[in-house]
Amino acid sequence: MHVILDALAMIGLSYVMGFLFYGFYRQFSARVQRRWGPSIWQNFFDNMKFLLKSETLSHGPMFFFGPMIIAAGAITTVLFVPFLKDSDWLQGFSHSGNLILIVYLLVVGPLGNALAVGSSGNPFGVMGVTRGLTRLMGLEVPFFLGLALVMLQHETTSVHAIMAAQDGIAQWNLFTNPIAFMVILLPFIASQNASPFDVVGAPVEVYAGPRVEFGGRLLGVLMTQNMMMTIAKLVLVVDLFMGGATNIFILIAKAFSLFLLTAAISLAFPRLKTEQTVDFFWKVPLGLGVLGVVATVWFPWGA
Amino acid sequence: MYHNNHCEGFQCEQRMLEASLGEEGGELGVLDRLVAWMRQRSLFVLAYGTGCGAIEMRPLMTSRFDAERFGIIGAATPRQADVLVISGYLAVKTLKRVIRSYEQMQEPKYVIALGSCAINGGMYWDSYNTIKQVDHYIPVDMYVTGCMPRPEALIEGFAALQEKIKRGEPGGFQRYRENIDWYKGNQRRVLGDNMPPDYTYDWYHAGGTA
Amino acid sequence: MSLIVKMLFLAVSLSPALTLLVWGDAVAWPLLGGIELTFDLNPVSGFFMLLLALGAPLVALPMLRGAHEGPAYGLYALLLLGMQLLLLAGDFIGFFVGWEIMTWSSYLLLLRSERSDLEGAQSYILFNLASAFLLLAGILGFYSLTGDFRIEALASAGPAEQLILAALFGGAFLIKVGTLPLHIWVPRAYDQAPDTFSAFLSALMSKMGIYGLVLLPTLFPQGLAGLLGSLLNGPAAGYILAWIGVITSIIATFKAISQEDMKRLLAYSSIAQVGYITTAIGVGSSLALGGALFQALVHTLVKLLLFITFAGIILQTGQRRFNDLGHLIDRMPIAFFAVLIGIIGLAGMPPLPGFAAKYLIFVALIDARWLLLLAAMLLSSTAAFIYCYKLIYAPFLGHANSPEAKAATEAPWPYLVPQVMLMGLLVLLGIFPGLAIELVIDPVLIGLGMAALGAPSPGELATAYGGYDGVVLMSVFGSAFMIVTGLFFLLRGRMRRAGSAYDLSFAGEVPTAETPLHYGAGMGRELRRIPLVDWILSRTTTRFQAGLTRQSLAASGLLGGLYRRDPQTWILLAVLLFAVALTLMLLAGGL
Repeated sequence: MHVILDALAMIGLSYVMGFLFYGFYRQFSARVQRRWGPSIWQNFFDNMKFLLKSETLSHGPMFFFGPMIIAAGAITTVLFVPFLKDSDWLQGFSHSGNLILIVYLLVVGPLGNALAVGSSGNPFGVMGVTRGLTRLMGLEVPFFLGLALVMLQHETTSVHAIMAAQDGIAQWNLFTNPIAFMVILLPFIASQNASPFDVVGAPVEVYAGPRVEFGGRLLGVLMTQNMMMTIAKLVLVVDLFMGGATNIFILIAKAFSLFLLTAAISLAFPRLKTEQTVDFFWKVPLGLGVLGVVATVWFPWGA
Repeated sequence: MYHNNHCEGFQCEQRMLEASLGEEGGELGVLDRLVAWMRQRSLFVLAYGTGCGAIEMRPLMTSRFDAERFGIIGAATPRQADVLVISGYLAVKTLKRVIRSYEQMQEPKYVIALGSCAINGGMYWDSYNTIKQVDHYIPVDMYVTGCMPRPEALIEGFAALQEKIKRGEPGGFQRYRENIDWYKGNQRRVLGDNMPPDYTYDWYHAGGTA
Repeated sequence: MSLIVKMLFLAVSLSPALTLLVWGDAVAWPLLGGIELTFDLNPVSGFFMLLLALGAPLVALPMLRGAHEGPAYGLYALLLLGMQLLLLAGDFIGFFVGWEIMTWSSYLLLLRSERSDLEGAQSYILFNLASAFLLLAGILGFYSLTGDFRIEALASAGPAEQLILAALFGGAFLIKVGTLPLHIWVPRAYDQAPDTFSAFLSALMSKMGIYGLVLLPTLFPQGLAGLLGSLLNGPAAGYILAWIGVITSIIATFKAISQEDMKRLLAYSSIAQVGYITTAIGVGSSLALGGALFQALVHTLVKLLLFITFAGIILQTGQRRFNDLGHLIDRMPIAFFAVLIGIIGLAGMPPLPGFAAKYLIFVALIDARWLLLLAAMLLSSTAAFIYCYKLIYAPFLGHANSPEAKAATEAPWPYLVPQVMLMGLLVLLGIFPGLAIELVIDPVLIGLGMAALGAPSPGELATAYGGYDGVVLMSVFGSAFMIVTGLFFLLRGRMRRAGSAYDLSFAGEVPTAETPLHYGAGMGRELRRIPLVDWILSRTTTRFQAGLTRQSLAASGLLGGLYRRDPQTWILLAVLLFAVALTLMLLAGGL
C-alpha cells in the first residue's frame, strides 16, 4: 500500500511540477522577448486539450505502442529517482536502481518512440529521430563523464549514497566537484530538449521532427511524459549536485533554481544545428571533462 | 446594425457573427463544459500562408500582439493543429493542399478564413482560378473580414472562436462530416481529376467511425 | 537417407552440450618425448563450451533446411570437433591443433557460399594463418622458456621475454577477434559466408579469440599487471589492450552506421561489441572480467539471434540491402520481435542483459579510475543506438521498397525456433541477471582465482558500487506500460486507423508509391557532417594493409635475391659446400 501511494505521489508530483515549470518557462521566455506570455497553467491546458481530443489517428499497432512505451519509460524513470533523502516517502523503487541505470532509463522511452515514428512511415519523422540519436551521441559522452567523476568521487553508483554524503551546503558536489557540474550542465540542457540544442523537436517551426505524425491523444501522452521526464532529470541533478532535499518545498526550491539557471542559459543562445551541437559537445564539455579527469584522477593532489 | 455608437467597422461585423451564434452552452454537463473550456484555452494554429494575409500572422505571433497570451501558438504539422487559418485568397492549386491539410487535422478542428478573398473572392471576384467561397469546400468556423484585416481583428476573430468553443457549439468539422458528399461534390467540381486519393476521405463516408 | 543424415547432423551439433554435461576427469595421452596431451574441462573452458553448446544446435537447425548438403554438414561437424578440442586442451599442442582444424574447416565452409569471392576468401585465410603463425611462435617461445607445453603461468621468464610472448599471443588472439587494424577480414567473411554460418562466425568463433585473451592473464605470473606495472588502479599493459578495444569499437561503430548492407552492418557491430570485451579483459579486475564474460554471453545470444533472423529475411526476400526492404513488420512479426529484442540487447538497454554487462564494465572502469576509457566507450555505445535503429527501421518499418519486400512471409520454422528460444533466453537473463552471475560467471571467476561477484537474489546484480534489481525493474516497467495503455483507453474519443500507408503529413502533398519515402540507407549519412566522424570514416586501414603488403614483398624480394634462377647451380653449390664442410669436420675431428 505504501509503495503504491508513494509511486502515485511521485508521478503526480512530477506531473504537477512539470507543467508548472514549463508554464513558468513560457512566461519567462515571453518576458525576455518583451511579451506578456501565456498563463502559468498554459502547459496544463495544452496537455489536457490533447488528451481530450475526440479523434486520434493511428498508423498501426507499433505506432500506438510507441507513446505508451515512452510514457512507461518516463514513469519508470521517475520511480527510480529518489525525490527526497532521509525519508520514507517519494522514494519509489530507487533502492533497486542506481545512477547508471537511471541514465540508461532516460533513453529507453525515446528509443521506444523512435519505433513508432518509424512505423508511421513518414520520412520526416525518421529524420527527426536520426537527429535526436545524433544529438544523444554528442551529449551522452560528456554527461556521463561528468556523472562518472561524481561516482568516482563517492565510489558508488547509488544515488542514495551520493545524496547522503552531501550533508551541508559545503559538501554539495556543486562545490566539492565543480568541474563535474560544469561538464554536465550543457549536456543536461540538451537532454532537456531545451534551446540552444532543441533542433530535434523544434516544437513550432520545423516540420521534420519525431512528432510529425503524432496528433490527438497520442501527442497528449508524449507531452505528459516529456514534462515528467524533465522533472525526473532535474531532481536527479539536484540529488547529485545539490545535496538532495529533505522535504518537498526544499526540493521544489532547489529544482526551481536549477531550472532557472538552465532556462536563463537556454534563452540567451540561438539554436545550433545538429552537427554543430555534437561537435560542440565533443569539444567544449568533453574537453573540460578530460581536463577534469586529468586534474582529479591522474594527479593525486586533486582528489 | 451599422448605426450604433459602441462599435464600428469589423467590430460590428464580429458582434453580428457572435450574436447569431446562439446560446446553447447551458445544455452542457459539467464535464463537457470543462472539456470545452480546456479546448478553447489552447489553440494550436496551422497557418496556411497562401495569400497576402500570411503577412498578418507574423505580428500576431510575435512580441507586439503576442497571441500566445491567449494560448494561441503555432503548430508545425496539421496533425498537431486545432485551427487552420486560411490567410487570404486560395487558388485552385492551393485548395487541394488546404483540403488535404484540413482532413489531416484531428477533431475537434476549426477553420478561420482571413480576409475578404476567402469569404467571397474579394478583389479576385472575377478571377478564373481563384476560389470564391471557401465555405463551399471546407467548413469555415469564423470569418475575419478586411483586406487585409489587422492583427487586432485577427485576435478578435480568435477570441470569438474561443467563445464559440467554450459554449460547446457544434464546430464546422461536424458540418463537414455530416455533409461530406456536398463538400466533396463541390471540391470535385473545381479540382476535377486532381482530387486527392479516395483514402483521404473514405472514412467520412463510413460514418466517420472507421 | 537424407533425413537420416540430417538427424545425424543435428545429433553431432549437440555434441558440445554432451561434452559439457558428461565430461569426467582429465584425459592424458602420452606423446613422444615425455610430453603428453591433456584434455580437461575447467571452468573457463566450460564457459566457452557452454556458449558453443548453446549456439551449435541453433545454427545447425536452419542449416538443415533445404537441399541436402553433405560436405557442409561434414565440415560443420569437423569445425565443432576442432573447437571442442581447442577448448578442452590443457596444453598448447591440443590448443593449436584445435585452432588449425577450426580455421581450415571454417575456411572451406566459407568457400561453399556462392557469394564468396577470391579476395574475401584470401583475406580470411591469410589473416587466420597469420594468427595461427603468431600463436605458433608464441607457443614455441613459451616452450623454449618452460620446456613444457601445458597452459599455466609462466614462472621463469624475464620481463622482456614476457612482453614478447604477450605480444605474440595477444596479436594472434586480437586478429581472431578482429581488432583494428587487423579487422578487414571480418566484414568480408561475415558478409560472404553462407547466411546462417555468419551467425556461427560472429557469435561463436570470435569467442575463441576471447577465450585466448582470457587465458592471457593466467599465463603471466601477476596477470597483466606483471608485465608493465600498474596505472591508476589497473594494469598498464591492460590499459593498452583496453584502448585497442575501445578504439576498435568506436571506429567499427561508425563504420557500421555507414553500411548499406545488413550483414556488413552486423559484422562491424560484432567487431565493436567484441571490442568492449577486449576492453574489459584489459581492465582485468574481477568486476571487469565478470563484465567481459557477461558481454560475451550476451553478444553470443544477440548475434545468433540477429544473424539467424536476417538470414531468414534474406531467404524470404532475397534482398540484403537496407534500401530494398521495409515495412516487414506486418509480414514478419516474429522476425520483428527477434530484431527488437536483439537490438535492445545490442544497445545495452536496461530491461535486457546487455545492460547488466555494460553496467559491470562501466563500474569496473570507474573502479580502475580509467575515466577517459569510460568516456570513449560510452561514445561508441551511444553511437551504437543509431545503427541499432537503422537495423530495425530499414527492414521492418517505413515503406516497402521492393516487390519482394511487399510479398514476403515469415521465415520457415527452422529459422523461427532458434529465434524464439534466443528471445526467451535473453529476456530471462534480463530479468534475472543475478542468476547468470551465480550460475555462469562466478564459477569462471573462481576458476581464474578471482573474487566471485555473487548475487543476493536471482534478480539482483550487486557490486561494491551498488547494483540493480532486474525483477523490480521489469515489473515496474511492465505495470507502468499496462497502466498507461489502460488509462489511454479510458479517455474519451475514437482511434482511427490511417486509410493508407501514404496517409502521411507531407506538407500538404499526397505522396504516392513513386515518392521516395524510405529513409533506409540514407540514415547516418548526414553524420559525416560532424568533423570527427567524417575524419574517422574517410580513413581506412587499406593503406596500412597495402604498406604491409609492400614491405613483405620487398622483404621476400630481398630473400629471393639470394636464390638463382637455375636450381642446378644451387644444388651443385650446396653439395659442394656440404662436401667441404664434411671434409673440414673430418679433418678437424680427426675421426
